[in-house]
Amino acid sequence: MSVSTLASFEYLERLPGTTFRRLYQQPSTALAIFRRMLPHLAKTFVMALLYMSKPMPLPDLDLWVNPNSKRERDNALQLLSRLHIITVTAPSRDDPQTITLTKNFTESLRLALTGGGDHNSFGVPSNDSVAENVDLAFLDEYARDQWEGILHYVVNSVGEAMRGGGQGPTDAVKKLLEAGKLVTTGRHSGKGITQAGFSFLLQEVNAQVWTLLLLWIENAEKMELDSVEVLSFLFMLGSLELGRAYSKDTLTDSQRQMLPYLIDFGLVYIPRPSSGHFFPTRLATTLTSDASALRSVSAGFDAASSAAGGAKGFIIIETNYRLYAYTNSPLQIAVLSLFTRLKARFPNMVSGRVTRKSVGNAISHGITSDQIITYLSTHAHPQLVKSSALHGGPVLPPTVVDQIRLWQIENERMKATPGFLFKDFENAKEYEGCVRYADEIGVLIWRNDVKRMFFVTRVEQLRDYIKSKKIK
Amino acid sequence: MLRIYPGVLVQCDPSIKSIIVKIDNEEHAFIVEELDDQTLVIKENMMTTLKMKLDEVDAFAA
Repeated sequence: MSVSTLASFEYLERLPGTTFRRLYQQPSTALAIFRRMLPHLAKTFVMALLYMSKPMPLPDLDLWVNPNSKRERDNALQLLSRLHIITVTAPSRDDPQTITLTKNFTESLRLALTGGGDHNSFGVPSNDSVAENVDLAFLDEYARDQWEGILHYVVNSVGEAMRGGGQGPTDAVKKLLEAGKLVTTGRHSGKGITQAGFSFLLQEVNAQVWTLLLLWIENAEKMELDSVEVLSFLFMLGSLELGRAYSKDTLTDSQRQMLPYLIDFGLVYIPRPSSGHFFPTRLATTLTSDASALRSVSAGFDAASSAAGGAKGFIIIETNYRLYAYTNSPLQIAVLSLFTRLKARFPNMVSGRVTRKSVGNAISHGITSDQIITYLSTHAHPQLVKSSALHGGPVLPPTVVDQIRLWQIENERMKATPGFLFKDFENAKEYEGCVRYADEIGVLIWRNDVKRMFFVTRVEQLRDYIKSKKIK
Repeated sequence: MLRIYPGVLVQCDPSIKSIIVKIDNEEHAFIVEELDDQTLVIKENMMTTLKMKLDEVDAFAA
């Protein structure tokens, strides 16, 4: 599962049930959640339950699942109820537990799959797109310019300011980046990048878009926008078709208010402020597509950026930790300077070294060694890829990769896992039951049978379990 | 009565653990529960402060 999915997931899971009920009124939202957020087993359950008129007894559902896959089943059901897609009745002694899809979700997903209704949830195409002379290449270019403008702003807030072309993002975006603590405006040093900002830079584009959008949603209430409206609008954008014009007329007032922000992000293009339609860009239409489409986003952007001069792979790294990057993009150079000591800059390349100090510096800013390694290997020069394929070895020199990892663990003398401590059980039986259940659902990380304490990463499922035990 | 505490489970060497215990002794602001020689639970919001304090100790020793 990609980073971006995780980020949007965590945000969604925190929303209350009422928000979900309103969100699921839109067929596009139901469809987007269904196709983007759910693992295959959960999808199977949903599809099976979709046209079932009566609640289904949970034991019947168990018949579909291989007994060895109990953990997967529990995870799927847990996720579905966290997203308020299913409701499971509370366990009681007389009747078996039953499971139903929530009403709004059922109706919306049925509408989304089979069509019908006049909800306009998937946008209304406008007819005069031909006249505007807007093609895919133009939209890609536009989205890339806007997005790189934002990234530049984040990077440039680092000490070594390297002014790239373009006018940078608008004030609204700058405020948002500050509110999200991606950059700070310190008292002494002016602007600075934060730990969150560093990891933001190293994410893939789709993940970056989601990070920024979630920030926006969190701050939406301050801007007098309703977060449900914002979310459903985003899910709608995700279902639109790239390169088509859509009519503004069917948008609600608050959705129209959102358009300027989305233009700032490069998710939407409007030819003239007065024109009655808008174009979604690739950034918007791939918001809710699944993993394979996600790769094509980056492919799309790579294509776009190679047209602009920065080829896909440009980094050569040698076993002596020397690094050569064939790029003149200030953005890429700035990202490299986060974890390399750059020595020389030429018109078409920069060279430098990966050192213990430079990597340590990056790590102290919250960048992980894995992020650095992924960055290096995704941007490895074609020559490096070719020679590794020839010898059948890895793309990056193993010595360098291992060393970067070692530099990271050097300062990690403790392993920290956030979660919950359970203690003071009344009797051994209660403890045994809980700890066994925690182990089964895969959240247990530490236990001490003598002291009757254990530590888990997640608490919701266990809480339900303990409650159900109390009833019996 | 069963009790549940949120926190961060920290697993480390006994030597590091004793340093953490020593740091905690000043204000009792970090540790939720000491579990054994190599494991303790720390308050989630204090993790960064604790890491900084540990680095200070480290710099002093070096």
